[in-house]
Amino acid sequence: MARHDAIAEVTGLVWKLLVAIGDEVAEGAEVAILESMKMEVPVYAPVAGRVVEIVAPESAPVEEGATVVVIEAPS
Amino acid sequence: MSEGILDDVDRRRAAARAMGGRDKLDRRRAKGVLNARERIDALCDEGSFLEAGLHAHSVMEADKESTPGDGKLTGYATVEGRPAAVVSNDFTVKGASSSLTNMRRIAHVKRTATLRGMPLIFLGESSGARMPDNMGAAGMGTLLGNDPLQYVRHRETPWVSALLGDCFGSSAFYACLSDFVVMREGACMAIGSARLVQLAMGEVIEPEALGGAAFHARETGAIDQMVKTDEDAIALTKRFLSYLPSAAGTPPPRAETAGGPATDLAAMVPQKRTRGYGMRRVVTALADPESVLELKPQFARTVVTALARIDGHTVGVIANNPMFKAGALDADACSKATRFIATCDSFHIPIVNLVDTPGFVIGSDAEKRRAPTKIMTYMTALQSATVPKFSVIVRKAYGQAYLNMGGGKNSDEVAAWPTAEISFMEPRFGARVVSPPEADEATLAAAEEALARGSEVWEIAGMFAVQHVIKPDETRAWLIDMLRIYGSSTTAAMGKRHLAAWPFNF
Repeated sequence: MARHDAIAEVTGLVWKLLVAIGDEVAEGAEVAILESMKMEVPVYAPVAGRVVEIVAPESAPVEEGATVVVIEAPS
Repeated sequence: MSEGILDDVDRRRAAARAMGGRDKLDRRRAKGVLNARERIDALCDEGSFLEAGLHAHSVMEADKESTPGDGKLTGYATVEGRPAAVVSNDFTVKGASSSLTNMRRIAHVKRTATLRGMPLIFLGESSGARMPDNMGAAGMGTLLGNDPLQYVRHRETPWVSALLGDCFGSSAFYACLSDFVVMREGACMAIGSARLVQLAMGEVIEPEALGGAAFHARETGAIDQMVKTDEDAIALTKRFLSYLPSAAGTPPPRAETAGGPATDLAAMVPQKRTRGYGMRRVVTALADPESVLELKPQFARTVVTALARIDGHTVGVIANNPMFKAGALDADACSKATRFIATCDSFHIPIVNLVDTPGFVIGSDAEKRRAPTKIMTYMTALQSATVPKFSVIVRKAYGQAYLNMGGGKNSDEVAAWPTAEISFMEPRFGARVVSPPEADEATLAAAEEALARGSEVWEIAGMFAVQHVIKPDETRAWLIDMLRIYGSSTTAAMGKRHLAAWPFNF
């Protein structure tokens, strides 16, 4: 199993987490919504897999490129 | 003919191919960096490289023996089956510095490629002007300025630069004149080296910060893609060329197509105007499978510029990306779009605009960055481009930015999704402008609602300022129809290339 980071593409606040640990997600699924410059900006799952870690909970500030959620996938 | 003469030919060939010697070549190999001839082998079809100037060397008497090829290898080959000309810098010979002989070599293949219709590929790694050859009045008079066409280019054929090490002087300058630039991590592109900068300016700076790949990818936009290895750079070079014709007189090659992707586009784009989404996903969903090559993905991210194929036809996609600044076009985005339009117009590549922008970024920073003039340069480029131009309004299309994205008659054909909102500015701000200063919240809300209603697609389609209203999942088929209709005329979608002589950055 390999770990894959779902990253914030912009700096902002985590507005809504859409997944919990243990959830199965599809590739490209929205896992969180950031609030950044009055816009809601999604964080996408880079691969299909299972959510194994929430790095940035709701209301947490995140920098561009930071990991929000970690997804485990077979490869 | 005596055997001695023929043996001498073999001996001289072997000496030339030995480049700067085993030690230097081994040191490069240990670092995982290809040498100039290995790069040629990776680029060119097997056995196809024919060198022009194998026996060239420096004109300086003292350097004749130590400058095999004179540090810049040039010749002809086929790349993926198509003829091309190649310049591969050999850093093991005097740092591939520019000298009289190797400048002649470049000029020769450049002229041949231009006149005979072949792409030109620069495998860059050079230290700049050769010393002391260039020093003094005699050096300058002999080496510089004798070729008035050295840095003139009217995009007669595609040029690609791969930046694969220290790239100062010619490798940097030719990259700045190329249609596609790929840079390996660890390479440095600058006018002069960090060492020279420190000597001349007193500025202490690391090469990465002065001209590293990440710096150019994010800050200057001077490169189109950043990669980890020489091999990756060469693979991308080939990939880029596959979208373009070999010369400006012919249309781009049409690729085999395996049908369109099955993606639910409507689900990909949220209706709520303040909700971002990844426009790259939309581009991927519209294009033929695996056919999207994004250019400058880390620079001016509010706009996506990408080569792609639709039903096998090369298209140039310009798409606002609401992931960043809501898709608002800033000064860098204007530069990026302008340059891309010039490439498309020069090589008969139809332009597809995907529109979702709240307008241009405004404010004092935008003014400092000369946004107004960049907006107009971009507009002039779009209106001067004679390739087929299409626009699909996905969601927001406001103000002048609507025109820059092809709105009105600035594209040949405009389609809109039912989610399109077309107006001069966001209804929230528009309501403020049209209401008296003393207006209360209820009055403002009513004004905003009225303006939002007036922004719906049916109004603009009703007056024929938008020619088609299409559902998201009809977009690919619509584009295929457009390419057929605009490509079936007597012009065969060939443009007049008015932008071919435009510069390369704005």
